[in-house]
Amino acid sequence: MTKYQRLIYSLAAGYAFLVLVAILTACTDAVPQDVVEAIEAIDRDLMELRAAELAPDDYSRFAHQWMALKARVQAEEDLIHWPWESNELDLALRGLYEEGVQTVERVTDQRKALRQTAEHKLASVEDRFQILTDQVGAIDSRLVLGQQLVETDLLVKQARAFFEEGQFERSIEASDKAGQMLISQTTVLSSELGRYADHGRIGRWQQMVKETIEWSRRHRTSAIVVSKADRVLTLYKNGQKVLSYPVRLGFNGIREKRYQGDGATPEGRYRIAGKRGQGQTQFYRALLLDYPNEEDRRRFQSARKTGLIPASKGIGGQIEIHGVENELMAQTLGCVMLENAQMVYLYDRVEKGTPVTIVGALHEHNSVAQALASLGQRNNI
Amino acid sequence: MTENRLNFAPIALALVLMVTGCAKPPTEQIEAAEKAVADAQQSGAATYVAEEYTKIEGTLSALKKEVADQDAKFALLRDYGKAEQLAVAAKADAERVKAEAEKKREEAKIAALQAQQAAQESVKVTLDLVAKAPAGKDRAALEAIKADADALKASLNQVQIAIDKADYQAAQKQAEAIREKSAAVSHEIESALAKIGKGKAPAKKK
Repeated sequence: MTKYQRLIYSLAAGYAFLVLVAILTACTDAVPQDVVEAIEAIDRDLMELRAAELAPDDYSRFAHQWMALKARVQAEEDLIHWPWESNELDLALRGLYEEGVQTVERVTDQRKALRQTAEHKLASVEDRFQILTDQVGAIDSRLVLGQQLVETDLLVKQARAFFEEGQFERSIEASDKAGQMLISQTTVLSSELGRYADHGRIGRWQQMVKETIEWSRRHRTSAIVVSKADRVLTLYKNGQKVLSYPVRLGFNGIREKRYQGDGATPEGRYRIAGKRGQGQTQFYRALLLDYPNEEDRRRFQSARKTGLIPASKGIGGQIEIHGVENELMAQTLGCVMLENAQMVYLYDRVEKGTPVTIVGALHEHNSVAQALASLGQRNNI
Repeated sequence: MTENRLNFAPIALALVLMVTGCAKPPTEQIEAAEKAVADAQQSGAATYVAEEYTKIEGTLSALKKEVADQDAKFALLRDYGKAEQLAVAAKADAERVKAEAEKKREEAKIAALQAQQAAQESVKVTLDLVAKAPAGKDRAALEAIKADADALKASLNQVQIAIDKADYQAAQKQAEAIREKSAAVSHEIESALAKIGKGKAPAKKK
């Protein structure tokens, strides 16, 4: 072999070596670890987003593909590919990664939208519940709603707790239930107290008051008018207003009296049947009314016959306009209660036989009607 | 001698192919994996570890596909090795997820029961306060509060219903709301009692 031939061989061998090195270094792993790690990160993101609960179909599709590919990843972990060979696993993993990125974006948007919905619904029911509580308190109708007010309060609290834990679907569920209960309570209030907004009924009450004042004028004597909605007692003398005092009613006073112990204050035309001075009443001073009158008895019997009043219930009695037994007490059982100083003043200006007309309201824009209208507007009913 | 060796070659080859051609799906392992997944589901995995559970379902699905792929091949070319690996992995994962779900379920149950107990105690305090409230005219001031206390007592049944349904999260939240409301009502009664003082027996009908 000549020197020239040796040189040619050496160059050829060197070239062959370089080609071999180039080929070997160009070999790739069948499993692209960086893509696998990126998919694992996406899975963690989806778990954090509670994707299985929020978008079960999306997450199921992702998880099923990921598990199928993971099995292949494990099987092909040690394999290498020549650069000119196609790598289906690599392509599938990159495809899943792209899909995963989109799924994360979609679920993030869904979660954001769900959070906004939950927040909006919660704020709405909290607001409506507060208004209901305020209105019910303002017109003393808490008992009209029975247990519903507490049940709604509990639902609103649950909705808040779920929201704060990021359980937006459950928060929405509780808010929706609370919203339904608020509508139902407004319906109950409208049904029980709707007469305060009834044009015809208010007209009759106004007529009763007008006749009482006219009677006072004609007989040149005193007469009392009590408005339950306004919680005001007005004394007339010779048809002229002498004084107006705020009063407290029974614990269920806003309702129409139906039977003994219901805490409601009766509505109708009464007269003072007796005066009870100090030592004759536990309520400082009292003016006993002639409740039940004929109209009350007729109404009671009729309601009893139709089953509206249980047979065990009596019609009640001993309805008074009285003072305060204890300075710190705030309620009565069905009577009309005045502050003691005002009671003394009134007591001295009326006598047995003085007419006492108790009505629901004196005008259409009374507090109860306004409360009902406000609640109706809030609930869109 | 050489001729004899050549005559045996096809027989040996057929024997080898017969042996390798007898590959069958790992039925036992697949059934064990399916049972483990069903057990995990029973333990509440879909609720308490929803994402993990979905992935096990994915593995099971991959396993079934692998078996179907092998089944579709010519009998002598079937290889269920990968299916067997998947079955073993699915079973192990399902058992792990089941244990995790049971742990979380138990924790949720304990939290719900503790909240229920706290709510019961709180409502009892409220009802005791209502019972202590004076009768007579003073009763009127407490009528509305009494109605609230009764409503809270009734709501405790809802907590028990949620616990019976194993909806521990709902039970816990409901019990916590009851306790909070009950504490507020108790406070209201205490304030009312402090104002009213000692009451008198009712003397009249109304």
